[in-house]
Amino acid sequence: MNVKEILIEPMIPLWLIYLLFSLGGAAVILQYWLTRKRLVRSKALTLALLRLCTLSLLISFLLNPFSLERKEYKVLPSLAILFDTSPSMGLPGRGGKSRLEEARAFLFEGSNPLFNSLSERFDVSLYGLGESMRSLKEEELTRLRVGKKKGDLGEAMRQLSGKASLGLLLSDGNLKWDETPPAGPSLLSLPSGDPKEYRDILIKEVKAPHLAFRGREVRIDVAIKTYGYRGMTLPVVLKEGSRIIAARDIRVTESPAEVTLTLSFTPEKVGQHNLDLSIPAQVGESISGNNRVDLSIKVVRDKIRVLMVSGSPSLNYRFMRMALKNDPSIDLLSFVILRTPSDILNVPIQEQSLIPFPVDTLFSKELNHFDLLIFDNLPCHFYISTNYYGRMREFIREGGGLAMIGGPHLLDGGRYLGTPLGETLPIKLTGKEGYRRDASFGVRLSRAGRTHPVTQLSPDENENENLWQDMPALDGMNLLEPKVFKNVLLEGGEGGSRPLLFADSYGKGRILILGTDFSWKWYMGMISRGKSHWAYLRFIERMVRWLTKDASLEPLQITFPETSGEAGQELEFRIRVKEARSDPHFQGKVQLSVFDSEGVKIESHLKAGQPTGEYLGFFTPRREGIYRIKVELPNGFQEEFLTIGRPIEEREGAPDHKRLKEISTATGGNLFFRGEDLLKEIDAFGDRGKKSFVEEKRSPLWSLPYALFGLLSLLGAEWYLRRRWGLI
Amino acid sequence: MISRREFLSFGLSLTAGFVLSNPKRSWGAPFPQFFFAQLKYRGGEWDPNPRFAEAIIEELELRTSIDALKERRITPLSDPDLYYSPFLYIAGKYEFEPFTSQEREILRRFLTYGGFLFAEDTMGAKGFGFDRAFRAEMKQILPDHELKRLPLDHSVYRSFYLIESVGGRQKVQSYLEGITIDQWTPVIYSQNDLSGAWARDRFGKWIHECMPGGEAQRSSAFKAGINIIVYSLTSDYKKDVIHHPFIKKRQNL
Repeated sequence: MNVKEILIEPMIPLWLIYLLFSLGGAAVILQYWLTRKRLVRSKALTLALLRLCTLSLLISFLLNPFSLERKEYKVLPSLAILFDTSPSMGLPGRGGKSRLEEARAFLFEGSNPLFNSLSERFDVSLYGLGESMRSLKEEELTRLRVGKKKGDLGEAMRQLSGKASLGLLLSDGNLKWDETPPAGPSLLSLPSGDPKEYRDILIKEVKAPHLAFRGREVRIDVAIKTYGYRGMTLPVVLKEGSRIIAARDIRVTESPAEVTLTLSFTPEKVGQHNLDLSIPAQVGESISGNNRVDLSIKVVRDKIRVLMVSGSPSLNYRFMRMALKNDPSIDLLSFVILRTPSDILNVPIQEQSLIPFPVDTLFSKELNHFDLLIFDNLPCHFYISTNYYGRMREFIREGGGLAMIGGPHLLDGGRYLGTPLGETLPIKLTGKEGYRRDASFGVRLSRAGRTHPVTQLSPDENENENLWQDMPALDGMNLLEPKVFKNVLLEGGEGGSRPLLFADSYGKGRILILGTDFSWKWYMGMISRGKSHWAYLRFIERMVRWLTKDASLEPLQITFPETSGEAGQELEFRIRVKEARSDPHFQGKVQLSVFDSEGVKIESHLKAGQPTGEYLGFFTPRREGIYRIKVELPNGFQEEFLTIGRPIEEREGAPDHKRLKEISTATGGNLFFRGEDLLKEIDAFGDRGKKSFVEEKRSPLWSLPYALFGLLSLLGAEWYLRRRWGLI
Repeated sequence: MISRREFLSFGLSLTAGFVLSNPKRSWGAPFPQFFFAQLKYRGGEWDPNPRFAEAIIEELELRTSIDALKERRITPLSDPDLYYSPFLYIAGKYEFEPFTSQEREILRRFLTYGGFLFAEDTMGAKGFGFDRAFRAEMKQILPDHELKRLPLDHSVYRSFYLIESVGGRQKVQSYLEGITIDQWTPVIYSQNDLSGAWARDRFGKWIHECMPGGEAQRSSAFKAGINIIVYSLTSDYKKDVIHHPFIKKRQNL
């Protein structure tokens, strides 16, 4: 509709215009009075009128008259049609189609496609809704595929805010959506998929500890959600590799149903346990990948289990036993050989307290239950068959510790030569036993001993060295030669250069040889000097902890956040280098490597923090699985494992129409099913979004040619009449 | 009186035409894993059974895996090497002079931090002589701990032999007394004169009769001696759980 109006917009104040107009009128009256003297009344009046018109016209230009033309335009409401391309939209929907195909057919199929009707009423834009929203052309819809990430509806709403007056969402309800909706258009939703027909078994949630203690029950709480399969019994299996470590059955009584259960097992082996929890895939399951969850549990010992066998009662045994028993983290089982085969018993068995040495039980069945084996001056061949040496070697190779404490029988008279046990020892075997008990001797740290955890009784290097030099003298020594000199930690004897303490690794395990049976003098010797006996106790403690790879002696500590990581999210964790403050060698020499579940190294970075020795490690796992984090130092490395899972939202594929309705309602829209008069409803919502706008056009009248022509005509007519009537 | 070892050494020396000097071991010399270190104190009679060591050490070596030195070492309390004694022994009949405060401190420190003392009243008179002096000293040295009868489930009664009664030259009491600190009993005390039952002359004959039980009482004294020595080197080893079923079975419990 067009509307024209004449309006004024005075260029100067109106009172001034009135004044000018009054002066012009007075001038015209004066002119009339003067011309009346020379002309007849009619002619004088004609000239005065012409002059009045001219002046009025000129003065009226000061009012700045203009014409205003208004034109109103109607605009079609904009409609954003959002196709959810979340992974679940690729799952079966109704009519043998995928949910995405179902959504597409809903718009474009039929004798009068809904899309055409909508195009007539709306300005339609098409979008694909994946992790991010992207604009689509109509012809692209046939090629539209589901993505790998969930559609982020919240972000899409923010982008559509101000652009669309109405949204039409085609989805199964498995979307990313904040509970507080952002500003944006109202959403009308068309659901895909059929919740009643959906069949799936999903491990929804697993609560398992990152850290467990060996020998103590580990409980894993599992929540399982089932769609369909009513009346079936499903096995839930927890496995480590191919070994089943726990299993339970669940009975599905309704659909959908959520069942919680607890699986428990008792880990017997220290270390990283990579487990998988699974339910066998059932016929017709929509998603079989969500029937399995990886778990990584680090099993540590609550107590260090030590098996000590002493060749005879001795002060060395008693003081070492005291040191081990005083440590609450150590569980000691000790055997002392109270009589040798040549000793004569003079009483019946009822009067002895001697018990049989359970060699077979200990060394063939129970050995793996120990962390450390100590042979204290043991003439081994009397009591332990060489057949068990192979088993002992395997025990060490698999991560066990072996300590051999000296004395005249340390090397069993040289009988370890050529045996599997002898192979593990860090000393040269000659087939002979070399032992001296004569002059007392002191000890000193070797080069390796200065930095070795076992002999590092004080963090200060000089203080540590003085501590060892100040240790009471020893009286007996095994004459030993190392395989490699770097394994010698303490030296003593004549000239102070005979190796006394050896430490080495074998396979995953560690071995230590202390070539004296007088280490107890480090305890009582200090007491006799009026000093503390802590050095001996600390030495024994560090010896045990080093041999058993106790975390307290590890050079660094890796701490993960309490919440487990998810694929696609950057993960941050803390690394603490324990010796960094006192040892400048560590500065800048910390290296981080992260490997995915297939062993491929992935990008990671390390950031130094405060205080010194604290680091932050970062990496972004791209997919689920068990990741290996390796931190290397100049003096060793540490590895930890971390399970990365997919968020539950990405594993859940059931159509969630209830949620879709909640989303629609929250935005002021609604959910529509097929049987309803959808178009009518959409129209009702569309009316609210209809808009129009008015266009205004202004044209100044004084600049029109007609105005100039009128003015010139008035002036010309007056000039002509004046000339004719003889006034000019 | 010379020991059999000394006699044999002397004889061999004569045969070889070379007199082997009997090197007197000093405390500076190396220490074998087990030996008796006998306390020499002032007053009373510190060495009532000078020939006690040989027989019990022989018995120890015959029955057990312990490698021991047959001779004993004599030490005053002031000797700092006292701390290296695996088995400190004190015996006497009569009341002795009180220890000095320094001696008491040495003994207190020795006993508190892992040392072991076996004490014997060879007279066996309760409240008199050695018994009175020793109990008084123990009260001074370890005032927070009492010398008490050791119960039958104490490790000393089962460290090697399973014994229920303690023998000796005399049978003043069938049990041992001791001072226990935490799980360790650093002081064991007897009034049965065990060392009197162990003592032999140089011809191998028992010096003392065992009254009233005779040889059975002597045998019991040896068993008790071995148990005390094994206990001093193994502590409460026999309290470990693994021993329980065997010991209970043998005791018909």
